[in-house]
Order: sequence, then C-alpha cells, then structure tokens
Amino acid sequence: MPLDTSSAYPLALLRVDGRRWNDLRRLHAAVRTQAAADGSAYLEMGNTKVMCTVTGPSEENKRRTAASTATGNTGGAGGGAGAGGAEVAVEIVVGGFSSVDRKRRGRGDKRIHELQTTLSKALAAALHTHLYPRSTIALSLHVLSQDGSLLAALLNASTLALVDAGIPMSDLPVACTAGLTSAASAADDPLVDLNAQEEQELPFLTLATLGDTDRVMVLVLETRVQAARLKDMVDLAADACKSVHKSLREVVRRRGEHMVEEGAVEKGASMAMDMDIDV
Amino acid sequence: MATATTQHLLLSPAELAYLHSTLSLTPPIRPDGRLATQFRPLTAETGILPGTYGSARVCFADGTEAIVGVKADVEKTRRTRISPEGQNGRRQRRKRQIGDDVGGGEEEEEEEEEEESAIVGENDWVEMTVEILGHRDDDNSTVFLAAMLSEALLSDGELTKKLWINRRFHWKLYIDIILISPPLSYPLPLLSLTTHLALLSTRLPRLKSEADEDPMFDDDWAASQPIYPSSRASSSSRPPITLLVMAIGENIIFDPSKEELAVADSVLAVSVVEAAVAATTTTTTDDGDVDVDMEDDRKTRRRNLRLLSVRTVDPPSRLTAPGVPNAVNAAAWGQAPPGASAKDPGVETEDVEGVWRPPRGGAKMAVLSAMVQKVLEKGGIADEVLDGLDGVELE
Repeated sequence: MPLDTSSAYPLALLRVDGRRWNDLRRLHAAVRTQAAADGSAYLEMGNTKVMCTVTGPSEENKRRTAASTATGNTGGAGGGAGAGGAEVAVEIVVGGFSSVDRKRRGRGDKRIHELQTTLSKALAAALHTHLYPRSTIALSLHVLSQDGSLLAALLNASTLALVDAGIPMSDLPVACTAGLTSAASAADDPLVDLNAQEEQELPFLTLATLGDTDRVMVLVLETRVQAARLKDMVDLAADACKSVHKSLREVVRRRGEHMVEEGAVEKGASMAMDMDIDV
Repeated sequence: MATATTQHLLLSPAELAYLHSTLSLTPPIRPDGRLATQFRPLTAETGILPGTYGSARVCFADGTEAIVGVKADVEKTRRTRISPEGQNGRRQRRKRQIGDDVGGGEEEEEEEEEEESAIVGENDWVEMTVEILGHRDDDNSTVFLAAMLSEALLSDGELTKKLWINRRFHWKLYIDIILISPPLSYPLPLLSLTTHLALLSTRLPRLKSEADEDPMFDDDWAASQPIYPSSRASSSSRPPITLLVMAIGENIIFDPSKEELAVADSVLAVSVVEAAVAATTTTTTDDGDVDVDMEDDRKTRRRNLRLLSVRTVDPPSRLTAPGVPNAVNAAAWGQAPPGASAKDPGVETEDVEGVWRPPRGGAKMAVLSAMVQKVLEKGGIADEVLDGLDGVELE
C-alpha cells in the first residue's frame, strides 16, 4: 500500500522531509568547478548532486557522430545538428554509488539514453546553435547522488555550465518537478520539487521553461494523473521554475562579480564600453 | 594501451625531438618547469558524498579531476569445496594428538593462532570499476586501468582481510571511480591517489552480533569504524598508491605530463604501500649497519615503504611517427641535395640532431631498477606524496 507522503504530519500539512507543498529544497550551485573544461558547474538540489562539464564549441567529431548514428550505443545523444547549427551532444554518467543501493547502469541503459535525448533537444532549442555551424558542443554530466528530480537537476546544471562556457542562449533554461498527492480531494495542493521517496509514490511531471517566461521547453510525465489536475501541476511547476530561475541567475551574477573582482574580465568589459561608444 | 587513455597529441617530429633533447639534459628541463622529482600540485577532499561509505575527490593542477565513491554490502560467503568446519575439525584432531605429547597449555595457543589465520579474504570481495568519459566501460584501456588499480589494492591481502565478518558473511566492497575531466594525461596516478583517499575515509558500521550469527550492525553511524584506522601506532597497513615514473636516457622523471609521455623511453607504474610499523622492526634487523641509520631516520620519519607491484606501461612515444631527414624523405625529394638522392632511400640514417626517432627495444635493466629505487628512497616522491595525502582531513 502506498504511503501517503503528504499526510506525514497531517495537521501541519508538512511533507516527509518537513517541507510545505510549495517549498523547494535547498539549491546550491557553483560555476567553474573544473579548470580543464571550457565550462563547468556543480549543482545540488537537496540531496541530488550533479556535475556538468562543457567542451566546445569545437570542430565536429566525425567519428563520434558516425558511430552514434550507426550503432547508437556510444552513449552520446546529439540534437540540433542539421540546418548548419552546432550539434549538442550530451553524455550522462551515473555513478554506481549515486543511489541508496549500489546499482551500475551501463552505457546502453534506456533511461539514460532517454534523458540524454531530452536534454540535448531542449538545450539545442535554447542555445543559438546557428552561430556555430559544423561544430559540436559536448556536455558531460556526472550524477554523484540521486534523490529525485534528476532530469531537472541535470538541466539546471547544464544551463550553468553552458553559461560558464560563454555559449549564447536566448534565456536560461530552468526545470523543476511537480507532483500530486494521492488524496482524491481537489482541495489538496500539488507538491513541488519531489524527492526520491515522493517520486516513487506520487504521480509527477518535470517541466522546463525558458527563463521566467511561460515558454515550456520540456514536459515529461511518465505516470498516470487525473486530467483535471494536470493544469494545476503544470502551473505550479512553472511557478517553481521561476524561483529556480531566480536562484540560478543569482549564481551567475555572483560568478560575474567574482570575475570582475579578480580582474579576469576587465579587458572584456572595457571592450564592451568601447563598442558602446562606437555605436 | 596507454595511448587510448591519453588524448592524441598533435606534436610535430621537430617538437618531439626538442622535447626529447631538453628532457635528456642534466638536469632535465621539463615543459612546465618542474624538477624531475616534483609532483604536480593537487587539491583533495574526502567525505564529499554523504550517501556513500567513503568518498574522495582529487583535482590536479592541470584540471584533471576524479571522484571515487565506496559502497559496501553484506554478502554470504561462498562455501569452498573443502568446508572450513571439516578442515578445522581435522586439524584440531591432529593437534590433539600433538597436544597429548607436549601438554595442554600450548594447544590452546595454537588454536587461537588458527582462528587468526582463518581470516582470509577473497579477491572478488572487492569490485572496482572505472568510468572514463568518452570511453566505453568495456574498453581495453579502461579495463586495464581498473585491473592495475585493483591488483595493487589486493596484492597484500590486507584489504580483503578487513572485509571478513564471520565464517558465513563478508562485506562486499564496490569502488566506483569516475574521471570527471577528459583524460589529459595518463590518469593512473590520479585515480590511484583518489582511491587511496576514499578508502582512508571509508567507514563500516560496527558489528553487534557475535561469532557466526547472522550479522547485526550498530545503527549509529558515529560508532562506525574506519577500515583503515588512522592511528599510526596500530599495526594496520594503509591503502597502496600507484605512481607513474618514466625514463629518458639516464634521466628519471616523475609524474609525467602528456607531452613528456609522448617522448618517454620507458614508463613504469610502481605501486607502493606504507608497510605496518610491526614490519619495520623485522626488516631493519637484516643488516647491522643499516639498522643504526634506520633507527635515526625513524625518529624523524617513521615511514617504511614496501614495493607491491611494478608494471611497464607501453609509452605512447612508440607509436609516434619518426622524423625523417630530407635526404631520405620521399615527400621532400625536391629539396634534397642532388648528391644525397643517389643514396638508397631505404637505408636508415644515424641519429640526426633535431630529428625525432621513437625509442626502440626494451628498457635497460639498470634504468628500471634505478626508477624503482628512486620511488622507494627515503624522502623520495612516494614519501612526499604520502605526506601530502596525510595532510588531507578525513571528514
């Protein structure tokens, strides 16, 4: 019998981890965590911990694209190629130690492949790939710890790493999850940012929007849900995306300030000023 | 095999020749300005993943980074063909016969000894996987790396001994290594150091049950016990480290970067372990003269290094194309002096200054033993690295 997670503390209306229905978990992120990559980021959403590195835009890797289309098991999923735009190749490595019970996922794992495809398509839509024809933007994501909302965490981490790599995009793609309590009464609110326990028991969806607009980039729903409640869930997830967007922007802004303090971008800043004067 | 894990370097024969000649000077001049025995600076932290039994992250200054997580599981010990009970019974019977002759006191002692020797682990209690970005996990080089790392770890049998719970159960240790960055240089030392730290930070729950009962553990994580106790005084061993050493001519160079590997004459992966203190006393008594020196040394530094394994790594330099002087280069026939073109182009020339020639043949025995000696010497590189790793705070 499934546990009704929403009623762990029925009077206080708290969830199992003590949050209220619209509380996000602690979101901690760091940009530029690795010196060797063109762009890198580390993101924690509660206990879900993800690391992302970006290589590129670099010259198109013929061997790799040929292999991935031919056999489909090299692990990379490409999107956005064609029409002269850059290809966004996403590779996800799930650490064997990331879940509670050690479980090793091979490269050919269907779920990982699906995540890769979803991410690369979404990112290719948000990035200005047309500026880099015949090139590849390779993202590699490492899952260090899993506690629900994996797709959302992966997308948010990729966003930060792509910002760090300086690849132009129309806005920050951000993602969050929303779930529905199993209580039948319509008065119940849906929940945001589910953890692993809630994900196992409740129907949930992952929604990604472009910045704090209402433009939906990704909507993944793998469980059954009452059609009448879907709208509530999407609305709530979109609201949650806005607050995720706010904190990611804050991370990027702090990184920018840090770079100015270090003097790393002084030259670039003055160039921008020159350009302003010229215009 | 080394080439698969190092990215292909696009160095011209002239560049390779230059690298080779600077590295064979005395003292060698390295591209990054390090001394021959200098390790790259690194940052390390442990206990980064609360969901694991032990974890560590190490970043080298060149940006390569690895994360290791250790997970453990209780597993039923597979019965061997000769059941331990049967064997024990037989031995005890034999002992009783001896005991009748000698006396009861000694018999008990011997039985205790047998209890100790019964704790023998099996190598498949430890499973090690390596994930390298852009390489399949069943790739030759990845499997080779994992094999080299686990070989060093299992060779002294100390680790598997610690995994023994009772006659029916044991811990199964899963060591998952992830190389986060692209493999810029041969990642063996990085992965080995990270594994070393992760194992040092690994803790297993305290056993509450006794003898051969089904194991029961203390819920309290604060009461858990590290598999490698930190106190130096106890006679427990430490996890091994594997270092990369290369030779160019007579020069021995530690922790080579990828550019240096591209011109190496021979490359060795040397695994050393810090032997237990108890072992120190036995080894020092071998030679009277050495004994005195060692005594003095031990006052300042009580580290006794033991060689576990040495493996030659096929250096990528063997696969680089040789530089060919214009005189015998078919592609440059227009530039060759007219006199030289008359020569047979198939004839090999002697070493020409500034022309790259990949090393041929095996390494000299003297050089190989010098490389191993240099790793093990007091205050050498292994000492330096272990000192650095000792400084890392465990959780």
